[in-house]
Amino acid sequence: MLGTIFQQLLDGITVGIVYVLLAAGLSVIFGVMNVINFAHGELAVLGAYFAVAITIQTGIGGNAFVVALVIAPLLVGVLGVALERYTVQPLYGRNPLYHILLTFGLVLVINDLIYLVWGTGSFRLPRPGVLTGTVGAFGFGVSAYNLFMIVSGGLMALAVWALLEYTRYGLIIRAGSQDRQMVRNLGIEIDRYYSLVFGVGAGLAAFAGIILAGNQQAHPDLGMSIIIPAFVIVVLGGLGSFKGAVVGGLLVGILQESILRPWVPWLEGMVIFVLMIGILLIRPHGLFGTEHAEEGGTERLLAGRTGSLLERETRFKLGLVMIGVLALVPIVAGLLGNLFWVTFGSRVLIWALFALSLDFVMGYTGLVSLGHALFLGLGAYAVVLGLIHVTSSVFVALALAIALSAAIAWIVGFLSIRVAGVYFAMITLAFAELYYNLLYRLEITGGSEGLGLLGQDYYYGLAGIGASLDDIAFFVGPVVLTGHSLFYYVVLGALVASYFVTRRMLQSPFGSVLKSIRENEERATFLGYRTVVYKRRAFVVSGAFAGLAGGLFALNNAFVSPSAAEWLKSGEVIVMVILGGMGTLYGPIIGAGAFFGLEQLLTHYTGRWRLVLGTIFVLFVIFLPRGLVSVPTLLAPYLPGGPGPTSATEQLPEDSSTEGGD
Amino acid sequence: MATETQIDDRRTNGETVLELDGLVKTFGAFAAIDDVSMTVERGEFRSIIGPNGAGKTTLFNLISGALPVTDGTVYFDGEEITKLSPPERVARGIGRSFQISNVFGGLSVRENVRLAAQADRRDGYNLVESFFKPTGRYGDINQETDRILERIDLDHVADEEADALAYGDRRRLEIGVVLATDPELVLFDEPTAGMSVEETQETIELIEEVLVDQTLLLIEHDIELVMELSDRITVLNQGEILAEGTPAQISGNQSVQDAYLGGMVE
Repeated sequence: MLGTIFQQLLDGITVGIVYVLLAAGLSVIFGVMNVINFAHGELAVLGAYFAVAITIQTGIGGNAFVVALVIAPLLVGVLGVALERYTVQPLYGRNPLYHILLTFGLVLVINDLIYLVWGTGSFRLPRPGVLTGTVGAFGFGVSAYNLFMIVSGGLMALAVWALLEYTRYGLIIRAGSQDRQMVRNLGIEIDRYYSLVFGVGAGLAAFAGIILAGNQQAHPDLGMSIIIPAFVIVVLGGLGSFKGAVVGGLLVGILQESILRPWVPWLEGMVIFVLMIGILLIRPHGLFGTEHAEEGGTERLLAGRTGSLLERETRFKLGLVMIGVLALVPIVAGLLGNLFWVTFGSRVLIWALFALSLDFVMGYTGLVSLGHALFLGLGAYAVVLGLIHVTSSVFVALALAIALSAAIAWIVGFLSIRVAGVYFAMITLAFAELYYNLLYRLEITGGSEGLGLLGQDYYYGLAGIGASLDDIAFFVGPVVLTGHSLFYYVVLGALVASYFVTRRMLQSPFGSVLKSIRENEERATFLGYRTVVYKRRAFVVSGAFAGLAGGLFALNNAFVSPSAAEWLKSGEVIVMVILGGMGTLYGPIIGAGAFFGLEQLLTHYTGRWRLVLGTIFVLFVIFLPRGLVSVPTLLAPYLPGGPGPTSATEQLPEDSSTEGGD
Repeated sequence: MATETQIDDRRTNGETVLELDGLVKTFGAFAAIDDVSMTVERGEFRSIIGPNGAGKTTLFNLISGALPVTDGTVYFDGEEITKLSPPERVARGIGRSFQISNVFGGLSVRENVRLAAQADRRDGYNLVESFFKPTGRYGDINQETDRILERIDLDHVADEEADALAYGDRRRLEIGVVLATDPELVLFDEPTAGMSVEETQETIELIEEVLVDQTLLLIEHDIELVMELSDRITVLNQGEILAEGTPAQISGNQSVQDAYLGGMVE
């Protein structure tokens, strides 16, 4: 018994030490540069794969392990320096949320590169002979490799600590994580240290990835699964705090491996998110974090400006034409006898609606929700469960989905909106992950299997009046519209209606306050608006539309599984909004079209299309942050007969600090 | 000079509009504001001066509600407002002006003013209306908006984006936005920071002209200007009130001379 507990504790510390190394880099990078690095997990896994290359692919095996342990982190460190210099650096001075977007793009790129080079299989790193087998410790047999992980990881953490504590570099970095401006005022070019910090952080992550891959296995999705707990730890310990990362890493490792997994497995994966939400609400700066001067937090997000090229009426007509063209899709597809475009179109339109809902909070109030898949998932499960247990009317089920998502959005908003910027992004992520994990655990949601609608009788209508789409047929010339084709029109109708409702809202007093919050929240407060209330209402509206999108999502697949609420979906929808251009209602719709169009185009050539998508997204974030909708305005001065260049000059946000130091 | 005549338009009636009683604000061990008590009369033009770090902006933040007080009480129009949030104070009539670049740059001039006018009246409409009825259909708000646009002489550029305005027009807009919140008292924190002498003069004239019926509280570095415009002046030093009085009294005050004015007014 004692032996088991000891073994469990050791397991916890083993995993904890990996987390410590990951979180330390993540945390210090945030502290110094205000960058939330989503690609940190990928860098760790990349380290592991470099080690795979050095040990397995050279044929040397376990004897090269130590060599790999030195060289692979160095390689990843160099890559980190390059990434900082060429992708992160151009974004300093913008709202820190752009770094989240950028590094999410890097996740897509690195992840697909790993797939491309090493395939989908998993590798277990060969260990050197010394580290196989067990050693006796305190009277128990302990895996030598686990001991090695604890000792080497501990030494590594100690080395970083010493570096931070006792060197001039460390002093500057620590000072920088307290107050960058002050360090600059002292005449130190702290910006030069950024690459170094990023590189060392990346190297540390690689080291963690390698020792982990010797214990578990290196597989391409490992990065995605370790990054979220690493964030939890960073938030728990305090963004920017090294000590916090160490304590938080061990805490989460032991909590997960030594307590939850063996004793209360039902709660595994959820407790840490509850902890994260609690900490963010009670002590947003974490257990050991200090409130540090956040610069750049007041920068505006870059919205795709509207309407400088086309007259209002022209745009309206253009919109009608677009709706007309979209309405023709099932007919043309029917004529061509290729129904693929109908199902494809439904999917695009559902995501367009989802992107529209996110843009309503992100583009119009500046709230970047990293957990919007929560509402997609809520809507999806609400419709499926509603149709199974409550009603057979699809409309009633969709209404349930909207109501449930709006209600949960109110609760999440009530708790989250008081924390701003990066913290809001983190807390929404935590809520979404909590829900995602809950879906696996609950019986009613069907666990990891999900729930299907096959065999369920449901109809489109109200109070028993209506019919299943498969039972209705419209004849348009030689084309029969039924089933999927009709569902396409349901989706199109939902999107168009949502578009006009949100548009109307934005023209109302409510909408104009939202826009003022995006422009300058402090000023809106001093006009007399309780901005928190307005943001919460916007969040509820957004949640409701996302719920509708989720409901349609489930109907389209006739099936729902927990993956509807995975964080990758939250990331993808952000990608769509940015690609199209946030802060315009049609931007996200265009973005969704571009996203899936790209997928469609690229999957002909490669299964790893996210590599291209990620690259394009990264380029957009750096060079075209206002999205596709800003392209005509940017090109206009160079076209014959276009307006002068004045209307197209990129209006970069100005520093809006008003609390002049006294 | 034009300002001379406009000062005469101000009428104070001896009624107290703002009263601070024993205000204290500490940051850690540092007392930024240390037991400040003062009263401001309705219609008064009051300037607050003092060396850097005297606590002027902190004092403004306590009055506007941007920072909570550590101790003491704030009364406005005879009622205690110490615990009220900034929007609630705006609703009571405490307007706050920002430096010039601080309008809603991406919105039109009309939208800027309308937002302020709308904030003043939002209680009159129900929730559904405020979500769905287009702003163009709120007659009284739009009338008020037009009236203010005329008053600040920006009606001819009402539909332009605020960012596209010329510098002087943005300044007008800024003051128009404050006016549209229908304030009784307006706080100005260095409205002329970074301006040339001429621009400063023009800005102050504009404030005097547009906000002639309001009580003004101004933080300003240009001592000459302050002496010329203010009804009364409060001098802050190290979080405490060093002196208070008419411009003549202040310029004759020896301790003010020593602490502050000595080095600046030659």
